[in-house]
Amino acid sequence: MGTRLLMYLVVIMLGALVGAKASLGDQLKKRLGSIQTSCLLFLLGVMGIKVGMDQGVVDSFFQIGYRAVVMSIFTISFSILGVFLVKRLVTGGGAK
Amino acid sequence: MTIRILLAVVIGALMGMFILPQGTLAYTDLVIDIGLMLLLFFVGIDIGLNRSVFGRIKAIGFRILYIPLAIIIGSIAGSAVAGIILGMPFNEAGAIGAGLGWYTLSSILVATYSSQLSAMAFIANVTRELIAFIIIPTVAKKLGFLEAIAPAGATAMDTGLPIVSRSTDPETAIIAFISGVICTSAVPVLVPLILNL
Repeated sequence: MGTRLLMYLVVIMLGALVGAKASLGDQLKKRLGSIQTSCLLFLLGVMGIKVGMDQGVVDSFFQIGYRAVVMSIFTISFSILGVFLVKRLVTGGGAK
Repeated sequence: MTIRILLAVVIGALMGMFILPQGTLAYTDLVIDIGLMLLLFFVGIDIGLNRSVFGRIKAIGFRILYIPLAIIIGSIAGSAVAGIILGMPFNEAGAIGAGLGWYTLSSILVATYSSQLSAMAFIANVTRELIAFIIIPTVAKKLGFLEAIAPAGATAMDTGLPIVSRSTDPETAIIAFISGVICTSAVPVLVPLILNL
């Protein structure tokens, strides 16, 4: 995890440096959003391929999928609720 | 955005199940790594273009830590409630929730306890990641930017970060990264701890 985390940090900082120092053309700045979205959808597609190709995951999903989905929905809902409450308590709901 | 994300994942999964040859699997991790690095680079550019965010993050200070703490407590509480509904003991259900979306590690950590629970931890956390990808844009729009970090859990520092970044703003992206790092660090400690309760 350590090396990977460091790698992520270096890449983000490198990007931040380029964003802050390099004079990116207006055209590129405008297109940055759509480039990001295209890359993101491609990445998600590949992640979908990875899940779909893993026979173990597919089989397990059909066996215990319902229980797993219930578990995921509750963990996600309660974590959202947790952040919502913390935001209310700490900032009085003023933050975005 | 949500529909496009859902379509990308579903089309990818269907291609993986029915169209692509099995050999493709060997290259998916490499493609994901390269794609992720590229996206994180773009997240960095966004942050660099909005330099004022660092001042605002500094102003928030240690209160940033409340976000991962709320995500961790919320996830464990949520899985415990789901455990009651599904008739699972607290330690088993709680351990799955404490995986915080990091499916590989959480399933390994649980494997010595029970192989069935290990499979459940894997699938539940894979599902959490997929559901997170799909709902983050809607949560950001309807509930708020900070709430949009929560579904990603530990993945807010890597695979979830580009979606949070696209759905919110550079300031939230930095908070998400910090939150993801803390959640990721907590998983190896929390899963065995809860499992042994």
